Amino acid sequence: MQTLKLNETPIRTCRNFNINNIKLENIEIPNTINKFNNIKITGDISLISNNTSDIKLTYGIEEGLIKQIKEYQNAKIAINCNGKLQCTHEKLDIDFNLDEDNSTLLENLEIIANENSKSTIILKYKSEKDLEFWHNGVIRVNAKKNSEINIILVNLLNIKSNNFMSIENNIEGNAKVKYTIIDFGGKNSITNYYSNIIGENADNKINTIYLGKENQLFDLNYIGELRGKKSNIDIEVQGALTDKAKKHFKGTIDFKKGCKKATGNENEACMLLSDTAKSLALPMLLCSEEDVEGNHSSSAGKIGEKELFYIMSRGFELKEAMKLIVRAKFNKIIENIDNEELKEEISNEIDKRLD
Amino acid sequence: MKQTLLEIKDLCVKAEDKEILKGINLKINKGEIHVIMGPNGSGKTTTANAILNNPAYTKTNGTINFEGTDITNSKTDEIARNGVFMSFQLPEEIPGVSVTNFLKYAKNKATGEPVKIFKFKQELKQYMEELNMNSNNMERSLNVGFSGGEKKKNEILQMLVLNPKLAILDETDSGLDVDAIKTVSKGIEMFKNDDNAILIITHNTKILHSLKVDYVHVLVNGKIVKTGEQELANEIEANGYEQYKHKA
Amino acid sequence: MCPEKGISKTMSKTNIDEINRNIYDIKNKDEYEFKIKKGLTPEIIKEISIQKRDPEWMRDFRLKALEVYNKLELPTWGPDLSELNMEEIATYVRPKTKLNNSWEDVPEDIKTTFDKLGIPEAEKTSLAGVGAQYDSEVVYHSMKEELIKQGVIYTDMETAVREYPDLVQKHFMKCVPIYDHKFVALHGAVWSGGSFVYVPKGIKVDIPLQSYFRLNSPESGQFEHTLIIVDEGASLHFIEGCSAPKYNKVNLHAGCVELYVKDNAYLRYSTIENWSKNMLNLNTKKAIVGKNAKMEWVSGSFGSKISMLYPMSILNGEGSKTEFTGISFAGKGQNLDNGFKVIHNAKNTSSVVNAKSISKNGGKCTYRSLVRIEENAKNSKSSVSCESLMLDDISISDTIPVNDIKTDEVEFSHEAKIGKISDKTIFYLMSRGLSEEDAKAMIVRGFAYPISKELPVEYAVEMNNLINLELEGSIG
Repeated sequence: MQTLKLNETPIRTCRNFNINNIKLENIEIPNTINKFNNIKITGDISLISNNTSDIKLTYGIEEGLIKQIKEYQNAKIAINCNGKLQCTHEKLDIDFNLDEDNSTLLENLEIIANENSKSTIILKYKSEKDLEFWHNGVIRVNAKKNSEINIILVNLLNIKSNNFMSIENNIEGNAKVKYTIIDFGGKNSITNYYSNIIGENADNKINTIYLGKENQLFDLNYIGELRGKKSNIDIEVQGALTDKAKKHFKGTIDFKKGCKKATGNENEACMLLSDTAKSLALPMLLCSEEDVEGNHSSSAGKIGEKELFYIMSRGFELKEAMKLIVRAKFNKIIENIDNEELKEEISNEIDKRLD
Repeated sequence: MKQTLLEIKDLCVKAEDKEILKGINLKINKGEIHVIMGPNGSGKTTTANAILNNPAYTKTNGTINFEGTDITNSKTDEIARNGVFMSFQLPEEIPGVSVTNFLKYAKNKATGEPVKIFKFKQELKQYMEELNMNSNNMERSLNVGFSGGEKKKNEILQMLVLNPKLAILDETDSGLDVDAIKTVSKGIEMFKNDDNAILIITHNTKILHSLKVDYVHVLVNGKIVKTGEQELANEIEANGYEQYKHKA
Repeated sequence: MCPEKGISKTMSKTNIDEINRNIYDIKNKDEYEFKIKKGLTPEIIKEISIQKRDPEWMRDFRLKALEVYNKLELPTWGPDLSELNMEEIATYVRPKTKLNNSWEDVPEDIKTTFDKLGIPEAEKTSLAGVGAQYDSEVVYHSMKEELIKQGVIYTDMETAVREYPDLVQKHFMKCVPIYDHKFVALHGAVWSGGSFVYVPKGIKVDIPLQSYFRLNSPESGQFEHTLIIVDEGASLHFIEGCSAPKYNKVNLHAGCVELYVKDNAYLRYSTIENWSKNMLNLNTKKAIVGKNAKMEWVSGSFGSKISMLYPMSILNGEGSKTEFTGISFAGKGQNLDNGFKVIHNAKNTSSVVNAKSISKNGGKCTYRSLVRIEENAKNSKSSVSCESLMLDDISISDTIPVNDIKTDEVEFSHEAKIGKISDKTIFYLMSRGLSEEDAKAMIVRGFAYPISKELPVEYAVEMNNLINLELEGSIG
């Protein structure tokens, strides 16, 4: 059993605000790492190899956990979106299924989106049984000039597992990197997301939904550093918490010197579905450049009485009405997914988890 | 012989590296009302901005003279203080600065004389009544939360208060209902006299019905392709710009 | 302070020319009859206590605070305070005069300084009472007769400790405990001077009370303590102004403000802070707000080298409300880390925050805040808006807000914006005949207007003067 201190914010604030990092107590770190066999890959599998480069991260969730991946990684995937054929849209679906025999997943995923390539990659994490699984992964994306990459990350793990994710992106000129993150699983679901938006006109969009119940804890530490002229980042986070679930959202948009005419927007909204759910947010804007535009907004509260009443007046029970509203709020983000089957699956998960 | 107020010669202007005006010539005398008409994107707003030397536009050729002084490269505020006024298509919002304070300050800059507040407020109130404006707007922040019509009327109010020699009205009539257009026309008539001049920039002819116009210029693709009198406006209203497009 | 400057000129260019930074920079010869040894030991604290003619409880309190001070660490966040060497700072400077109750009795050099800052004029015109603190002692105190008759107490803190022991002991550093942070503990040990105000039940003080702080001696700290109790149903507006002339060595200000707004009471606390640009302003301000009471903060922060100032409202009473309206303006070499904290700790409470900042010439502004809505604070509302203006590309502006929502029946929203003055807006104003500098200054003053409109006229004028002063020559 160990205590982990993870996800340090790029800038500290007053210690008793309890948000500079997240402390997880009584964590059992798996000491035997077996092979991970339950990976299903469909789509343009020719893009895949195991030629990943050494893991070097600017941030990352925490040194020890990154070291665990470096030393014991059991899923090593390099994806090379080559875009050799003009106008092709390369697609890959990767499913990770955790079960009794594959209870620990340490994946090292490296994606290179070559110049002018266009690709969509769906990463789905599921667990078969209600056991305590361990997922600790690193995703690195290098988006070269004029590339376009769309990453859909779906965490449907059970609520007993630990889910750790370190994501880093390097985004060159005119490249577009878009993430859609569905974050539902994990007793602790801790995500560190960092983008170095370095090229002119580089664009990064992150759309996240999270859904927490019982004692689930979400700690999202999103950092976007804008360096390129006219570069942009949009962070949209929508969530719902019920029971004693807790969410910490730390979103940093950092306008670095030289990012003239860059723009950054951050919008975070949390629906509180019970009076014991807790939302802690730190939406930071850091700015050392003049000619930029940065906005953030953050809100929290329960579902509007009027909205609920209206839906219930159409014959829905309270719980059904709540589900309906949560789904409606989430739909804006789910709509980004161009895969009907997956959309359906996510929608069903919302229903199931809110039951 | 009429006195020349504004004279533009061979003016070429770029905006964001795109050539918009491709050799404009225009002469406006005291006592005249000129109209520049043209389809969207023909360079009408660019002409207005070029006269006021908006730094977002670059002059690549030509000169602009105002009352015999070369103002091609003068600073915007100097041009304004020389007596050129521009009514904006999209007036900027200035939070925290009231209409009264702003106009008092601008008036002081224009005349170089101290403004007597009581008399000034009276004058302002009178103009606002003439323009059917709510006099409560006097203490509101400039243009903040104003409707489209209120903003345009506010521009006309500023014109009346600052009393320039040349007023350039850039699409002042766009987006206004019939009553508001009448009010704006009334403001223009109040302003107009033999010593000043007006340049109206518009893409429709509604506002011209109630004004006596001296010259109409048709601007297409960065060039003035035809100049005529009031009938030209009527002709365009009937037939549109199509026939002029090939000339540009 | 320049209240004599009049209101009608706020917007005129001539006003800019009239102002001269020098009036804030008048130094008096560093005269003092008593300046204690540098550094901090129990012996020094005892010495201070004797000087202050403290009762026993206060002496013990100071020694306890010193112990806490020695245990606590410097903050691990925020501006770098490494230049601060407590051993170097003489904590206690006492000017050569005793407490006066007539302006004529104040020594000439001190009086000249205050005269230049416009203090007595302010009093003559519209203020109910003035307390001016010069270094560590309050030199001048007065209050209008009628307020005295109504039972309003306004006196210096030392006098209050002696004359109103019950009231003071019950409230002193109960709102801001010495354990809060290192500089509060330091304050508890060495506090000196400050104001005490008590407004009895139901009394409405309808003209503002004012105090004025000023640091004169190089390397001296100012640790004034302000304790205000607005009893049930009473109301008060208190104005604090701060200023210090410029010296080369670092000056420390670690004051403490404790405000008790009892049930149904109302308090507005306004500050215009213009410490010199070598001051470390590590001030602590907190209010405890009772049932259906309202606490309003209005704050302008212009001076100091480093400022760490986060006024706090604790909404303990059902239906209590608080508002914070503040602006920070950081220029060259300044790091202003300011903000606001609110704890919603009862049902139906509400908070409204409107914070602005301006950074120019390499200055850094940080808005750092906390909104916490506790589990028991059902049906509470909080809305926060921050806006930052960058005047050039060598300055810094950060927004670091923490929003901690622990229950569902709340309405919470937070908005922040960062940007520069748009070129279009400048062009619009220039097309009306304003020079580029005038246009920018007008936009900045407009930006600050939501704060200046909350201040009494003479302070609003001073704030605009300060803005003009800051902008002069720095933009264009």
